[in-house]
Parts: sequence; structure tokens; C-alpha cells
Amino acid sequence: MSTQEFSAAFEALTAPAARMALAPLLALGVGVLVFLLCDVVAALRAARAPVFVGALILAAAAEVRILLGERAPGLVFDGTFAADRATALWGLMFVGATLLAWLASLGYYRENRPFKPEHDALMLTTPIGMMLMIGARDLVVFFVGLELLSIPLYALCAFRRMRQESVEAGVKYFLLGSFSSALFLYGAALLYAAAGTLSLVELAERDLSAPLALAGLALVAASLFFKVAVFPFQLWAPDVYQGSPTPVTALMATGTKAAAFGFLLVQLTPILPATGRATVAVLALVTMLLGNLGALVQTDLKRMLAYSSVAHAGTLLLLVAAGMGAPDEHGALGAALYYLGGYLFTAMGAFGLLGLLEADGARFTRLESLRGLARSRPVVSALLALFMLSLGGIPATAGFLGKWFVFAVLVDADMTTVAVLAALLSTIALGYYLRVIVVLYMQPPPEELEPPRTNRWSASLVGALCGAFVLAMGLFPALFLGLLGS
Amino acid sequence: MAETLFYVLGALCVVFAIGVVRARMPLFSVLNLLGTFFCLAGIYLLAGFPFLAATQLLVYAGAIMVLFLFVIMLLNLGDAAELEKHAGLSLSGRRLFVACSSAALLGLVGLGAAEMSTAFDARTLPAEHALDDLEHLAALLFSRYMLPFEAASLLLLATMVAVIVLAKRQREQARDTSAASAPAESQRKENGVLR
Repeated sequence: MSTQEFSAAFEALTAPAARMALAPLLALGVGVLVFLLCDVVAALRAARAPVFVGALILAAAAEVRILLGERAPGLVFDGTFAADRATALWGLMFVGATLLAWLASLGYYRENRPFKPEHDALMLTTPIGMMLMIGARDLVVFFVGLELLSIPLYALCAFRRMRQESVEAGVKYFLLGSFSSALFLYGAALLYAAAGTLSLVELAERDLSAPLALAGLALVAASLFFKVAVFPFQLWAPDVYQGSPTPVTALMATGTKAAAFGFLLVQLTPILPATGRATVAVLALVTMLLGNLGALVQTDLKRMLAYSSVAHAGTLLLLVAAGMGAPDEHGALGAALYYLGGYLFTAMGAFGLLGLLEADGARFTRLESLRGLARSRPVVSALLALFMLSLGGIPATAGFLGKWFVFAVLVDADMTTVAVLAALLSTIALGYYLRVIVVLYMQPPPEELEPPRTNRWSASLVGALCGAFVLAMGLFPALFLGLLGS
Repeated sequence: MAETLFYVLGALCVVFAIGVVRARMPLFSVLNLLGTFFCLAGIYLLAGFPFLAATQLLVYAGAIMVLFLFVIMLLNLGDAAELEKHAGLSLSGRRLFVACSSAALLGLVGLGAAEMSTAFDARTLPAEHALDDLEHLAALLFSRYMLPFEAASLLLLATMVAVIVLAKRQREQARDTSAASAPAESQRKENGVLR
């Protein structure tokens, strides 16, 4: 490549479209660097929080510009990265999840917790990974994004190093996560051997029915199944979700899941063979069954929510089954966005409030410690009850409409039996969600346990914001459906 | 000649790989692993990818191997019997697991070999995709793959921060041990001069 050719290539990379597509990533990346710098210079310490929030706001603004702009950048960087209205919507979701998780983490850790700034810097790195994953049109870009999301999360899971369960969560997530990364790489290598390209755009045009390509696709799908914790890769979820600090759990349950499902649905589903539909549908139903049955017997609320998140992953996997082998014709993408958006606010709110109740050291996440909480903390209890109803899919909440759209997609894709089975399975879930409400409202407060007195504006704000969004998405869906319009 | 060399290296590679899992001392496992890496590098060289071979030696046989050795020395895993105590599965359970995963891997490799005729031929790749030339590789990194290349630097930064968070002695411990003897020292640490 001559100098001239090289400068031509470089110019193409810095074209206005590429700059526009890169803007959200750049805002966050520069934000991380400035944040770390502020931590080193004593005079700039006070600027840390504004830098954190500012980077997220700039990233959100850049995504909104792509969303509302007349011409989305489309494929940039020689077709390895894409930015359009859909990725902008996902990107906004990632920014929202990070901001809410960060708010929930303020004051969650003990005063003067060492490495709190590093905690925040790592948290700010994760949405970059998620955006790379969702915009990736090349398996290399996706893999770097996946690692950029996963590696900070491994450390964040083990952030409370003095707590054994936190370290265990980190180690478990790290070991199994590296294993799934290896699966992905092997799958990508097989795909390259079979098709001679790593570009997802080109892969979609190739015939991938050769056994070698199928094995590659299966390995890549398996590594993503691990990230979203669906059967048979769901075993790590309860331990990791329970052991990690609650704000980190919230970020994992919402952000990681959204990013992995985003890639799975946008990129991978169309190139998966339609013959595998039944297998994926069965996997999804088994995941729902295991998640719901597991959640029924839990006495720890965080663990219960972990199993519930497994069940929700199963529901989303049904959308993958419905869309396999064809470009999105049943509206599976829109349904997934609505479902994940609703789940983001619901789970984030529930975990945020749990974090609020959880004084450092004491464990207020057990069901029995929540007995009669409605008398001492009426607002917190009401919001928790709202989130439980939304998770269970009760009408007038975001969860109901999300489920409704998923089942509509299934019926549209001639999978009525699956839809009926899934609906039956989700009624099991009501059993444990309603139990939380019973405990909150209909049982006497325990005498020996002091009700938690923690009161933090940030976590309360998370709860209130999420509550408002859950209700708004349930009552005025038109507001949000307009965004999904195209 | 090249073909004979390939089979020799391949056979050696397999022998070393078996040695990795058969060795009773972790240190011998690591040495066997080193042998596997060298044989692999030789195979890359034979296939006409000198840069890949050099990277394999530098990164795997060099850097990663040293890490392995460090961990093994630090953990003091001299005795297999000591390891046995920490094993979660019984011996037969582990054997079954290893047999199953090896069979699955072998199946995949066999599939790859059987499909070679239908798979694409690396030699027919357009020149700008070829990896045998450093210039092309560099051009790819700075044009098509610039985004992941730059993102990887951020990834390295995040990894460093993560490692510091996980591995550095935390300040509260430092305070506990040094507060009695040197309060000024701990005060200085608290003000964050050391970070």
C-alpha cells in the first residue's frame, strides 16, 4: 500500500459519516481518560462526577443526533461498523443503564471505599463495549466490544474484595466468561474457514449450510447464550448475581443482556439456519421453566431476581427462534427493544431499591427481612411492588406490554403452541413475584430486626425514575412505540 | 521435505499436548506446553506465515509462559496429591469430562479436515487479506480494522485498571498495619499521593 493509497483510506475513515458514527464511542472513551486523569490530580477530584455524567450525556446526545438526523451514517470503517436508528436506540439504552447503575452505586459502598474512582472508570468503559457489540458488522469488532464489556465487569463483580461471595462471583464469572470467549473465537475461526470472511454483511450473503459453517455458528451462538444465561449455560447466573455488588448486578442484568441480545437478534438471527428453530424454541422454554422453578424456592431476593432474569432471557430467546433464517419480518426487533427497555427500568429499579435497603455489611435482601416493610418505608415498598408486578407481566406496567409484543411475534411466526406454553410458564412466575408483595404488605414486621434506615437520594432517584418509566411504558405505550416506528 | 516436516511437527505437537495433561507435576505440564507452542510456530512457518510464527513465539512461548510459571511458583503447586484435595469432581468424573470434551474437539477438527475441500483456500485470498506480508497486515490494522485496533488500547487500559483494583493491597489494610508505627505515612497515603 503506497502512501497515497494509505492517505486515501485514512480520509475515508475520517469522513463525516464515520465521525458521526464514532461520536458516542469517542465521548465515552475520552470521558474514561479524563475521569482517570481527574482522579490523579488532587485539584480536579471534585470534577469526577460531572465528568462521568457529562461523558454519558454527550454520548446520549451523539446517539440522539444519529436517531433524529436526516441521514444515518450507515456502514462506516470499510463496512466493519454501523450506526443507524436501531443501533442509536440500543445505544441510548446502554447509556441509560450505565447512568442508573452508577446512581445506584453512589453511597452503596462504605464511605471512602478504596478504588471507588476505579470502580466508576470501569463502569464507564462498559457502555463502549456494548455499543461496539451492537454496531459491529465484523466479528473482530464484536469480539473487542465483548471483551471491553466483560473484563471491567469481571473486576466489578469482585469489587468488594473482603467479601467472600463477591470474590467468588468474580472468579466464577471470569472463568466461565473466558471459556465463552474462547468458544466465540473458535466459532469465528470455523466461520472464516468455511466462508473466507469475518464480515457479517458478507456472511449474510454466503451459503452457510455446510457442516463447518454450522459448527461455527453454533459455537458463536453458544458463547452469546452464555452471556445472556440461557439453558444450558445458565448455571453461573444465580451465584454471580447474588455475590456481586448490587449496582453491578443491575448493570449486568440489564446492560449485558441488552447488548448480547441486541447482537443476537440484529446480526446473528438472520444468518442462523431456519432448521434450528425448534431446537432454539425448546431451549427457550426449558430456560423459562428452570428460571421460574428456581426462583420459586429462593429466600434471597437478589438470587430470586437472578433466576427471574434467566426466565426473562428465555422469553427473549423465543424472539430469536421466531426470527431465525430470515430478515426480520415479524417485528421481532421492535418487540425485543420494547421488552428489554421495560426490563431495563424494572430490573434496574428493583436492584436499585434492594441496594438502598442493603446497608453495607448487613443483608437486607432476604425475603424475611422485608416483612412488613410497607409500614416503615411505604414509598419504597410501593415501588418494589410495582417492579414485581412489571416483572410478572401485570397489565398497566411495561412488563405486560413487553410480553404481549413477544407473544404477538410468536403467533405471527406460526409458533402458537410455543406462545401458549410460554404464557403458561410465565404464570408460574407470578407465584414468586406476588409472594414478595405479600411479604411486604401482609406480614407483621419482625421484632428482632431493625428496619433498614439507609436513605440515599441517588438510589431513591433511581427507584423513582424507573418507577415512572415502568408506568409510562405500561400506560402510554404510544410515546415509545413512535420511537420504534421505522 | 516440507510435508515430512509438517507431519513430524504435527506428531510432536500431539505428543507434547498429551504430555501437558499427563504430567503429574504442573511444572512439567508447562514445559510440555512450551513444546507444543514451538511445534505450532514451526507449522505456521511451514505454512508461509513467518510473522504469525514469530508472534506465537514472542507472545505465547515468551510472555504467557512466564505468567504460567509465575502462577505455578507462587501457588506452590508442587504435589499432585495437594491438588487432589481441591478438586471438585471425582477422578472418574474428571476423566469422563475430559473424554467428552476431547471427543467433541476431535469431532470439530475432523469436521474441519473433512470439509477442507469445500472450504475456501487461503492461497486464493486477495493480496490485501494475505497475512504473509507485514506491510499488508499493518495496512489492514490501520485501515479496515482501525476501530477495533483503537478499541483494544482502551481495553488494555481497562484491564490495567481492573488488575489494580483486584490485586493492589487496599488502603484500609495498609492503614491497619502502618497506623500504629507511622501515622504520618498513612495520612500521606490517605491523601492519595501514592495513587
